[in-house]
Amino acid sequence: MSNFTTQKKWFDGAIRGLLLNPVNIALALLLVVLAYLVLWPFFQLVLETLTWGEGDRRLSRDAVPGEFTWFHWLQATASPIAGKMLYGPLINTLITGIIATIIALSAGGILAWCVVRSDMPGKGWLQPILTLPYIIPSFAIALAWETVFRSPKVGGQPGLYESFLGVAPPEWISYGTVPISITLAIHYFPFAYLLVAGALATIDSQMEESALISGAGKLTILRRITFPVVAPAFVAAFILTFGKTIGQFALPFLLGAPVQFHTVATMVYANLALGLDSLAFVLAVILIVISLVSIWLSNRFVGKKSSRFETIGGKGFRSREVALGQWRWPVFLTVALFAFIVGILPLILLAVQSVMLIDGFFGLENLTWHFWTGGSNPDIAFGEPGVFHNNNIIGATWNTLKLASISAVIASVIGLIIAYIVVRKADNPLAQALDQIAFIPFLFPTIAFGAMYLTLFAEPVGPIPALYGTFSLLVLISVVSRLPYSVKTGVTAVTQIGKELEEAAEVAGASWSQRFRRIVMPLASAGLTSGMMVSFVGVMRELSLIILLITPSTRVLMTAGFGYAEEGLTQLSNALVLIVAILTILGELILWWIGKGRMARLREKLD
Amino acid sequence: MANIIIRNLTKKYGSAIALNNVSLEIDSGEFLVLLGPSGCGKTTLLRCLAGLETPDEGEIIIGDTVMFSSSDKIMTPPGKRDLGMVFQSYALWPHMTVRDNVKFGLDVLKTPANISKETLDNVLLNLGMDQLADRYPSELSGGQQQRVALARLLATKPPVFLMDEPLSNLDARLRMDMRVELKRFQSDAGATTVYVTHDQTEAMTMSTRVVVMKDGQIQQVAAPSDLYHQPSNTFVADFIGMPRINLITLRAANSDKSIYKNDDMSIDIGWVPGVDEIVLGAHPEDLVVSKQITSSSEEYSVTAVLPNGPETIIQLTRGKTAVIARVAHDSTYSVGESVYVNYTTSALNVYDAKSGLIIKPN
Repeated sequence: MSNFTTQKKWFDGAIRGLLLNPVNIALALLLVVLAYLVLWPFFQLVLETLTWGEGDRRLSRDAVPGEFTWFHWLQATASPIAGKMLYGPLINTLITGIIATIIALSAGGILAWCVVRSDMPGKGWLQPILTLPYIIPSFAIALAWETVFRSPKVGGQPGLYESFLGVAPPEWISYGTVPISITLAIHYFPFAYLLVAGALATIDSQMEESALISGAGKLTILRRITFPVVAPAFVAAFILTFGKTIGQFALPFLLGAPVQFHTVATMVYANLALGLDSLAFVLAVILIVISLVSIWLSNRFVGKKSSRFETIGGKGFRSREVALGQWRWPVFLTVALFAFIVGILPLILLAVQSVMLIDGFFGLENLTWHFWTGGSNPDIAFGEPGVFHNNNIIGATWNTLKLASISAVIASVIGLIIAYIVVRKADNPLAQALDQIAFIPFLFPTIAFGAMYLTLFAEPVGPIPALYGTFSLLVLISVVSRLPYSVKTGVTAVTQIGKELEEAAEVAGASWSQRFRRIVMPLASAGLTSGMMVSFVGVMRELSLIILLITPSTRVLMTAGFGYAEEGLTQLSNALVLIVAILTILGELILWWIGKGRMARLREKLD
Repeated sequence: MANIIIRNLTKKYGSAIALNNVSLEIDSGEFLVLLGPSGCGKTTLLRCLAGLETPDEGEIIIGDTVMFSSSDKIMTPPGKRDLGMVFQSYALWPHMTVRDNVKFGLDVLKTPANISKETLDNVLLNLGMDQLADRYPSELSGGQQQRVALARLLATKPPVFLMDEPLSNLDARLRMDMRVELKRFQSDAGATTVYVTHDQTEAMTMSTRVVVMKDGQIQQVAAPSDLYHQPSNTFVADFIGMPRINLITLRAANSDKSIYKNDDMSIDIGWVPGVDEIVLGAHPEDLVVSKQITSSSEEYSVTAVLPNGPETIIQLTRGKTAVIARVAHDSTYSVGESVYVNYTTSALNVYDAKSGLIIKPN
C-alpha cells in the first residue's frame, strides 16, 4: 500500500517536473500550433476535394453538400474537360519546368565554375549582380519580358521589339512555353548557381593535383574527379530548382494567360476565379504531390551520396584557380554582358516603361512623371493617380512593410525558439517531430499553400474566427511559410552557442528565462537579425503565396502590381514591381553589410 | 564547508552504462581528483554532482542537504546546490566583459550592489585581472581566460568547487604554473573540490586523494603516493606511472607457490601468494640494473635507450620478455649491450592473473 503511494508521488513529481519545464511547455505548445497550421490545412484541403461543396449544386444533380464524393477527382482526371483542366496544364508545367531548369543549371553551372575555379577578373562585383534576378520578384522579369516582346495581337500597346523593328514578334516569343521557360530560367539560375558554387568551393584542388601527379590528363581529371564530386550537388540543384519552378504563379500567368497557356499553378488561380473551388483544390493537391515526389527523389539520391563526400575539406585545404590564359578577358566580357542583361536590364526596362505616357512609343515627347508624381487624370489610366498620390498604392506600401516586418520578427523569434528546442533536446523524439513539421511548408508549392489556408480559414472553427480577408491571415501564412528557413538559421545560431555557456549560467543559479534572455538571445542576435532580414525580403516579394488570400483592404505592393498588370496598366504595375525590387535589393545590401560587419566580428568571439 | 556523500549512483544513456553503482565519500575541504581514460564516467559523475545530469539511481548528499535521491524523488537543480564549476572550455560568455562574466553569478544571487562591487574588485585584484576587467574573453590569452573562469568560481564563494579538466587547453608550461595557483586558491577558499582530469601528473600533484575510474566504476580511491606504490589492480597499475609499470605474467614453479617463472625468468617472491598464475607489477625503478653479474641476477640485452633529463629510461629484453628500467642519467648503456638485472622484491606488487586484483602478503 505504502509502495503504491510512493509510486504515485514519484509519478506526480516527475510529471509536474516535466510539465513545469518551460522548454517542455514551449515544445508542447508549438507542436499543437504547428500541427494545426501545417498538417491540418493539408488534411482539410484533401478533404475539401473529396466532399460536395455548396457551389457544386450547379455542376451536378447528385451534389449533397458535405457528403463524400470522387466527383472532383473524376472531373479533373477523366471528364471531357480533363485535358484542358489537368493534362494540358500538367504537361505545360513539366515542359516549362524542365526546360527552365536545364537552362538555369547550365548557365548556373558554367558561371559557378568561372567564378569559383577560374581566374576570371571582376568576380567580386559580378557575383552580386548575377544573383540579382533571384533577389527581385520573378514577376519583374516577366514584366520586363513583356515590355520588350509584347504583341499587339493579344491587345494593348506594342513592345520595344515592334517599336524598333517595325514588325510584331512571333507569338511564340511573346507568350507561352518559350518566354515562360526563359524567364523562369533567368529567375532561378542564381539559385542553381549558388548550389553548384557551394559544391565547387568544397573541392580541394589537392585531390585534382594528386590525380595530376598520377599522370591523369586535364579532361580525365574533370571527368573522373571534379564532376563526380559535384554531381550530387548538381542533381540536388536540378530537382530543387524544378520543384521551385512548378509553384510559380505570376510569371506563367502573365506570359501565358493572354494566349490561354496554363500551368497547373495558374489553373488553380483560374478555377478559383471561376468559382470552381474544389477543382482548384484538386490541382493544388496534385501540385503538392509533384513537389513531394521531387524533394523525396532529391533526398533519396543526394542524401546518401553527399554524406559520403563530407570528408572533403579539413586540414591543408586549398583551392587552386584555373588560369584562363588568353580567354581571360573574353570570358569576363561574356559573363559581364550576361550579368547586365539578366540582372540590370530588366530593372532599367521597368523604370523606362514607368515613365512613358503611352507605353510602346519611344520618344522624348512621350516621357512623363505622371505615373510617379501625377494626380488623377481621367484621360490617363482610368484616372488612377501616380504612385505618390495613389491611396491604393500608399496603402499597399504601408501594408507591405507592415506585413514583411511583423512576419519577419515573429518568424525569426519562433524559429529561434524551435531551433533552441531542436538543438538542446536533440534526443527527444517530440523535438525531432517539431523540427520536421516546421520544415513541411518548404514542401508545399506556395500557391497550393495559399489554397490550403483559403479552405481552412474561410469559416470560424471553434475559438478561431474566420480569418479570410484579414491582415492576420496574411501574417499567419507568411510566418508559417518562412519557418523552414528561420528554423534553419536559428539552428545554426544556437549550435554555435556551446552548451557549456548555458550550463555555466545554470550552475550560477540562473533560471531558464534568465539564461535565454542573457545568454542565448544576445549570442544568437546576429544570426537572428540576418534571419529577420532574409524573411523581410522574402515576404516582401512574395505573390503566389498570398494572391488567393488578398482582399482590397489587405492588398500589398506585389498583389497591387499584379492587379494593375491584369488591367493592362503596365506603367503602374512596372512602377510597383520596381519599388519592390529596389526594396528587396536594399534589404540584401543591409544583409550583406551585417554579414560583413557584426556577424563576422561575433563569430570571431565565439570561436 | 561541506562534505559530499555519493551512494550507489547509476546513470545510463540508453543501454550504455556511464556510472555503475558508484559510492564515494568526500571530506570537507578535500581536493579529490577523478582520474581515468576517456569514457570512464568521470565527467558524468562530476555533472551529476553539479546537477547538470539526472542520475537514474542513487543518492547525492552535499553538506546536510540531499541534492539527489532516486528513492525520495529529489532532484535539486544546479543553481540551488551552492557550488561553482569551471568547465573544460571555460564557458566564458563571449558577449560579456571580464567584469560582467564574474558579476553574473552575483547578479543572479541578487547580491547588494556595494557588496557585489567589493567582492568583484577583490577577486579580480587577487587574480591579477583588474587591469583587464573591461576586455572581452576573445581579447584574452588562454591563461587569462582560465583566470576569468576561476574568478567566476571564486566570486560567489561556494563551499564546493567542481572542475572539469580546467587546464587541458593550456600549453605545458602554463599548465604547471596554473596547477600551483589553482591549488593555492583552493586551499585559501577551503572549498571541497572535485577535479576531473585524464592527466595523471595533475592528479598526483594536486590531490589529497585520487579516484581512478574505468567503465563507470571506481577502481581505487587512494592518496597519490599509495596509488602509485600499491595500485589495487592491474588496470590501475597499468594506468598510473610514467613510464608505465612492468606487468609480467608468471606461473607457479614450485609446489608451495612462492617461486614463479615464465620461459625467460624466474623469481622468488619471498612469500606465498597461493595462486597458480600471477601478474608481477614492477615499477621501472624497482629494477636494479648493473653491468656486472651478481647473485640471482639475470642477463638482459638493451634494446632502446631514452635519456630524459635527470634519469634515463632503458628498454631491456630477455627472450620474449620486455621490461623498462629507470636508471641514473649518467649511466652509459648502449643498444645491444648485455646487462644484469635484479628485482627489488620488497617493492613488487603481486596480482592474481585471473581477477587482476592485488594479493598482499599476510
